[in-house]
Amino acid sequence: MEKVITSERMTPLPQKTRIRRFLDYMNTNKLLLLMLLPGLISLVLFKLAPLGGMIIAFQDFSAFRGVLGSPFVGLEHFQRIFEDPYIWTLVKNTIILAFYSLLFTFPIPILFALLLNEVRVRWIKGSVQSLSFLPYFISSAVMVSILYTLLSPSTGLVNDILARFGLDTIYFMAEPGWFRSNYVLLQVWQTFGYSAIVYIAAMAAIDPSVYESASLDGASRFQQMLHITLPSLKPTIAIMLIISVGNIFTVDLDRILLMYNQSVYETADVIQTYVYRLAFASTGFPEYSYGTAVNLLKSVVAYILVVGTNKLSTKYSDTRLF
Amino acid sequence: MRTKISLFDICNNIFLLMIALVCTYPFLYIFFLSISDGRSIASGDVAFFPKNVNFEAYQYILTNSRLGIFRGLLNSGIYTVVGTVVALLLTYMTAYVLSRRQIKGRFLIMSLFVFSWVFEAGIIPAYIVLNKLGFVDNWLVMIIPNAINVQFLIITKTFLDGLPVELEEAAKIDGANDFQIMSRVFLAISKPILATIGVFYAVFIWNQYLMPLIYLQNPNLQTIQVMLKKLVISSGDSNTAFRTIIQNGIMLNPGNLKAAAIFVAMVPIVLVYPFVQKYFKKGILLGSVK
Repeated sequence: MEKVITSERMTPLPQKTRIRRFLDYMNTNKLLLLMLLPGLISLVLFKLAPLGGMIIAFQDFSAFRGVLGSPFVGLEHFQRIFEDPYIWTLVKNTIILAFYSLLFTFPIPILFALLLNEVRVRWIKGSVQSLSFLPYFISSAVMVSILYTLLSPSTGLVNDILARFGLDTIYFMAEPGWFRSNYVLLQVWQTFGYSAIVYIAAMAAIDPSVYESASLDGASRFQQMLHITLPSLKPTIAIMLIISVGNIFTVDLDRILLMYNQSVYETADVIQTYVYRLAFASTGFPEYSYGTAVNLLKSVVAYILVVGTNKLSTKYSDTRLF
Repeated sequence: MRTKISLFDICNNIFLLMIALVCTYPFLYIFFLSISDGRSIASGDVAFFPKNVNFEAYQYILTNSRLGIFRGLLNSGIYTVVGTVVALLLTYMTAYVLSRRQIKGRFLIMSLFVFSWVFEAGIIPAYIVLNKLGFVDNWLVMIIPNAINVQFLIITKTFLDGLPVELEEAAKIDGANDFQIMSRVFLAISKPILATIGVFYAVFIWNQYLMPLIYLQNPNLQTIQVMLKKLVISSGDSNTAFRTIIQNGIMLNPGNLKAAAIFVAMVPIVLVYPFVQKYFKKGILLGSVK
């Protein structure tokens, strides 16, 4: 925050000088303000206007009449949400999917970082780490296409191997029971190396002399990992866990849209995909208002979670999320 | 120092190399499929190495305009190059002004950016706004609306906040104006950070799926990622887009052609990866310590 310089006298300044000062400020910084203009326009049009557009959750929005001309209907759409039994399926699916992801994507990077930290051969350490976060930068469309290729019932490698062991063909992409496993598998594959980087950096900051004195005292490698490395990682692990909990409503929309189909809706359909279908993939009339209402509720809950967990993480350390 | 090599070391190294291999093997396997011939694939011989190596599948998918793969690659390429330049310019300029202490209200503007990032309006209000602004079926939708990523804005501003004010003051005394100070003095020091967020912007634009899916209905504007969904995923096993063909005496089946399509969609990233992975690493660290 800027320091506000208040004058000693409590009498307000004459109007003239205030305008003069404003004009002076504009004049001195005209180039800077001009440079800020594109960013400001971008903020207003692409970041704030959609927030204002959420007003249609309280309207009966028609594209023909626009946001300003559509009639208000109060909380009608929200009532409908609470009367719609399918919403609970969506909420359940969203949370289960995020929870399963967390269960696997949280500990695996830590284990990976710990093992990588024990590697003494420089080229192995470097190349394993570089390869581990490559999948993070590959698009969801490519990843899901690869998954399809590997799991295809007729030509896929996995079913080929199953067949050689005399097992039945599994329709991985069409059975609701397999969806969550597939999703989490992709999630782990894409993010474990990426997430491990934070822990590896935290380990690099540990003073090597601590390890030396420990080994002089006869501590084994495993004991050093347990009593030096892990405790040093505690703050990082705590923050990461808090952030992950704050993101419990966050699912990879691209990936689900690419992976799911009607036969797996019962486990794969989540709040975000439902909102997408209401507006862009419904056979009938697009339900902009209802979709926005559903998303508004989700955003409010998600916002409270993120801000709340951020407050928690400031307790643990000085590094804040924002 | 610990120099003794134990059994644990050997097992651990082998285990980690296996992990790296398992994580990258699917990409290799797709590549093997794309350069083998149809007959070997059908008999399941290409699990660990390609058979009868040829590049006919690539020639087929890139020259066959009915598929639109070449078009999609070209579009994605243009969007990525133009989009990255615009995004870097906008992000850097905005971050620079917001890091100047003489600007009033900079804290409020930054807070608004951050709020819009944490509280998501969702895809529907965004669509209504962009539709009004004429972005539907307009290639600029891939360039302009997402030109400022709030996370990168924060990272860039934090970096600029950390630079000494004296730089600006000295340049001012020399008679440089604000624009010159930014483009001559500060830009030179900011190259590493710009390279870092630049590669991230490029990867994000190249990999976008939802934006082109919603906004680009015109097939001539479509990106390679959406093409991939149409040609590889939606068609499933009952294939409509690809059929078994004989080209230059080589038999190609849908498996070859799909694999080639998948590979061209990731090839730019794989090609530049060795050169830019240090920036990726840096970017991830910067992003994590916000």
